[in-house]
Amino acid sequence: MDIIIQYGPYLLFSGCLFGFFMAWGIGANDVANAMGTSVGARALTLSQAILVACIFEFAGAYLAGGEVTATIRKGIIDPSLLSQTPELLVFGMLASLLAAGTWLLIASVNGWPVSTTHSIVGAIVGFAAVGISVDAVSWTQVTSIISSWVVSPFIAGTISFFIFKSVQHLILNKKNPFESAKKFVPGYMFLVGFVIAMVTLSKGLKHIGLNLNFEQSLMYSIGAGIAVALLGTLLLRKVKNTEQQRGDVVFDGIERVFAVLMVFTACAMAFAHGSNDVANAVGPLAAIANVVQSGGEIAVKSTMPWWILLLGGAGIVIGLATLGYRVIETVGRNITELTPSRGFAAELAAATTVVLASGTGLPISTTHTLVGAVLGVGLARGISAIDLRVVGRIIMSWVVTLPVGAGLSILFFFTIKGFFS
Amino acid sequence: MDGISDLIKKSPFGPIQSHMEKSKASANELLIFLKAAVDEDWDKAIQSRKIIVDLEHEADRLKAEVRSLVPKSIFLSVPREDVLELVKRADEIPNTAKDISGLMIGRRMEIPPQISSTFIQFSEEATEICNVAADAIDHIDELFQFAFSGNATKEMQKLIRRLDALEDQSDESEITLRAELFSIEKNLPSVDVIFLYDVINKIGALADRAEQVGHRISLIASR
Repeated sequence: MDIIIQYGPYLLFSGCLFGFFMAWGIGANDVANAMGTSVGARALTLSQAILVACIFEFAGAYLAGGEVTATIRKGIIDPSLLSQTPELLVFGMLASLLAAGTWLLIASVNGWPVSTTHSIVGAIVGFAAVGISVDAVSWTQVTSIISSWVVSPFIAGTISFFIFKSVQHLILNKKNPFESAKKFVPGYMFLVGFVIAMVTLSKGLKHIGLNLNFEQSLMYSIGAGIAVALLGTLLLRKVKNTEQQRGDVVFDGIERVFAVLMVFTACAMAFAHGSNDVANAVGPLAAIANVVQSGGEIAVKSTMPWWILLLGGAGIVIGLATLGYRVIETVGRNITELTPSRGFAAELAAATTVVLASGTGLPISTTHTLVGAVLGVGLARGISAIDLRVVGRIIMSWVVTLPVGAGLSILFFFTIKGFFS
Repeated sequence: MDGISDLIKKSPFGPIQSHMEKSKASANELLIFLKAAVDEDWDKAIQSRKIIVDLEHEADRLKAEVRSLVPKSIFLSVPREDVLELVKRADEIPNTAKDISGLMIGRRMEIPPQISSTFIQFSEEATEICNVAADAIDHIDELFQFAFSGNATKEMQKLIRRLDALEDQSDESEITLRAELFSIEKNLPSVDVIFLYDVINKIGALADRAEQVGHRISLIASR
């Protein structure tokens, strides 16, 4: 208790610093996967992609990021066990942020594909199980998080498989694919707007003073879907059925119809990413802020200070603006095989899965979900060649990340604890 | 970075198309060669032969590239065996062209004037089969763009039917050509006759292989 009162502001400041650092890292690295596909498919230019990412990452974090943040903040550890020693929670969360940030930095330097989500969850579980007690970890919650990591790529893959199959039947298979595309693509746009709005609204936007019941949410979501579809139809009017050169890739008319659609799915993807991944940085920070501001009370029901989501969103945007654009450029340049008709299916599936997970408060990996979605399109014979070794590497990386994140956070936890005792 | 860009590999069908371009070019060059041989213009024939050999080397390089693109760890949306088989069959076209030109140059083979017109016709038909097979491979792009849906496959089946018709026609010509050669073979040196039959066989094989390439593609498209 004394430690909290005595050093409170310093602890909070360190928390902000580490949290911001991690958000910056997420923006610099992770966002590239959300936006890289659109740039690769030439649906957006680099600068457009950054603008879209900034706006929608931020919106996703602010509007729909609350649930996952809550899970990270108080779902993994049972806070009631720590009511006598709130400083341990603060130290632990600081250690987790530092551990996850350090591991991400090491991995980024070496080019390993690691997940921010896995790092932070591993770190929190690590310090809680070893530093406090095995019982402090809410194992049922951890189990459901880990199973969501396995399930989410499958769900995304299944969705993308069927989306692509539907594209094949409704559009590509038709006598005049271009006209069919113009007819049906607004339908997919509706889907994008509807899904994102529905998940966001049904979870409630109490923190911005909007409180809706299910029917209202449904109505507003349908409205949002229609609005998106109308906007899309307006944009589609300009697309003519001619070949056009963009960079070194030639797209015929039909792909350019999908390119318009992909602008919308890219927004959805950025929104989904913001809603899920920002929590990795701000969740621990929120826990720290709670304890410090209440002067050492660990209130289970405490509300989340919303300036923290703003901080996380800002961190991501700055990370994106300072370093992320370069990563997007690299990723984007490499994936010309992912044309808009394929890329949109992958992005829509991944965004839907991630936003759904965000709605239920499950922290999942955006990257892994997108990998699953890309595989789904491949299985539907949309993409001709997929490297399974990369899939194996990604699975390996998350198996490794958990113990490393845990180990580092245990190390930092005892270091910080020793420093204050 | 995290996988996505590494995940999607270069499609092997680009190099397969370039490979078929070379095969097609070698078959067309062989036609020029055969016409020069009939005219007994050996300077021109030697020039042609050089081009064929170069094309064959190019095709070998591209074949290796295709193989390097489809290791077991790559998940292909079409069966891997079909892809390898396709390029293997296609690669026999430039090889056969090289064989035929080498054999004829080496022996300075003369085509008897009595059979030369059928000989040229037969060669033209064999070359045309290679051209149609190459057209079919060019359509792979479309197959993938439309993810093997109705229209593209129909287009492909049309090409395959054309290929079969051409093959029937060239079989006819081969039979005629053999009959013509048979009627004059007693007046020719026996060794020359043996090699003439050999060349006819090889040109027939060229047509066969091109047809098989077409069938492989239709297999890939129909699965």
